[in-house]
Amino acid sequence: MIELQISLLITSIIGAILAGYVCSTIGVFVVRMNLSSIGFCMSHAAFAGAAFGLMLSIDPLVSSLIFSFFTAVILGPITEKAKLESNVIIGFLFSIMIALAFIFINLIPGQAASGVSLRILWGSIFSVGYNDILMLIFLSSILTIFILIFYKELMAIMFNRKLAESSGINTKLFYFAVLFLTAFAVSLSIRIVGGLLVFALIINPTSTAYQFFYDFKKIIIFSPLIGIISCSIGFLISLYTDFPIGASIVIISAIFFALAIFFSPKRKKIK
Amino acid sequence: MAKNNYIISLENIDTTYQGDKIPVINNINLKIEYGEFVSIIGSNGAGKTTLLETINGLLTYSKGLGLIFNKEIMENKYEIRKKIGYVIQNFDIDSNAPFLCKDVVMSGKTGKIGSFRFYSKEDWDNIWYSMSLVGMIDFANRPIGKLSGGEFQKILISRALAQKPDLLLLDEPLSNLDFSSRKQIEKLLNRLNKKDHITILMVSHDLSFIPSGCKRIIVMHKGKIISDGNKNEIINSKFIENFFKNEMK
Ligand SMILES: Nc1ncnc2c1ncn2[C@@H]1O[C@H](COP(=O)(O)OP(=O)(O)O)[C@@H](O)[C@H]1O
Ligand SMILES: [Mg+2]
Repeated sequence: MIELQISLLITSIIGAILAGYVCSTIGVFVVRMNLSSIGFCMSHAAFAGAAFGLMLSIDPLVSSLIFSFFTAVILGPITEKAKLESNVIIGFLFSIMIALAFIFINLIPGQAASGVSLRILWGSIFSVGYNDILMLIFLSSILTIFILIFYKELMAIMFNRKLAESSGINTKLFYFAVLFLTAFAVSLSIRIVGGLLVFALIINPTSTAYQFFYDFKKIIIFSPLIGIISCSIGFLISLYTDFPIGASIVIISAIFFALAIFFSPKRKKIK
Repeated sequence: MAKNNYIISLENIDTTYQGDKIPVINNINLKIEYGEFVSIIGSNGAGKTTLLETINGLLTYSKGLGLIFNKEIMENKYEIRKKIGYVIQNFDIDSNAPFLCKDVVMSGKTGKIGSFRFYSKEDWDNIWYSMSLVGMIDFANRPIGKLSGGEFQKILISRALAQKPDLLLLDEPLSNLDFSSRKQIEKLLNRLNKKDHITILMVSHDLSFIPSGCKRIIVMHKGKIISDGNKNEIINSKFIENFFKNEMK
């Protein structure tokens, strides 16, 4: 009995740490490549997808992946062209996704707006299964290998996309790679952090790291670190206080960000 | 068709921006030989930047035929770009941008080195060398967002040089520089052209910004090439004098 509890606990904390790692790592690129609004939309699409899966009793992971990939495929080319309408379209799609998510939640069999359905809203410690862990390990490895192999290309693109393209890098390929990895990261993290807050885990640790460093190498090391620490502390808070885990994690990462702004060497120079 | 000896060969080129109906540059005919040093002048909005970006395929031309290194531009864009160094017209960089100057210079080589390869010691030596050419070696570990406009411009130039290009496209590279830096870069460009045989195509908004090594001037106006010839002839012709006078009004 107690052993079961402990293994459940270990699974959950590993899940939280891995979710922290994948979200705050991909976040570095999402922020710097100006993909924040599209990523925001994708994470809510993943949320709608998860609700859709629960409604039809299919694996919510699969349906959230499909929803967020689909969003990336639609929005990718639109934002690519950097036309003025892209923000309007993103906002439009975002509102549709939220509306769909609530409709699906309402249609989840059993008592709507309770138990299972609420978990995908704000996450849950104990909804992490063994399979989720395996998937998270898989994604963490892919992400790490992707960054190690394409570090120089990614850096060139983040400095200036036009210059990167002009020196012979196929930047479109990398934009879509980052979008798909983002879709993966949010879909896998939704059960832990919850659909409404998962995007904060992409943005907050990265934004915190950006407050301190001018060297990209340090950002790519510290952002995941901050993400992992936020998730671990958030997990413990949730465990002891019964606060929803997603909210705990996001509050902790937001506190880090607030402290970072306060202590940032980059901001001190503004007199 | 006989293989020609031009590094740039544009025939009847039109380039239209996406969503626009009217081409921004039209009926451009331009041949540049290997080893030339050419300046393009023209007032703001004449289409100079558009022309450069048509040459390296950042913009897709809608009419005509464009060959660079004897290869059609759009079909071979990734291949030809590896041999073209591009210095973009000055852009605003976020002062908190998380990149050091050496990383920016290094990023110029990325495409050429290719995927699945890391920087070798030689690549790094080449990067240091490119930085020293523009006198910016001491800035290697400085954040890119903390430079003055002129220093930033020099880093962008050294970024393009790190690529070891056969062709340099420079978009108003001297406009942010103070007098001594300008002379330094002009001298460098002359040397790159003469000694290293790099073909240079440089946009300049001002006749007084033309390095001595440049022997040919192209004048653009409203999307067309209105004059193309020997530097001294162009500078001394009444035509240009009148042209610029009219522009001022
Ligand atoms: N991205 C764009 N979309 C539409 N029109 C553009 C774009 N960039 C430039 N133009 C237009 O093309 C013309 C030529 O611009 P440009 O090539 O930048 O001129 P120059 O470099 O000579 O100042 C200008 O009238 C400008 O308004
Ligand atoms: Mg221009």
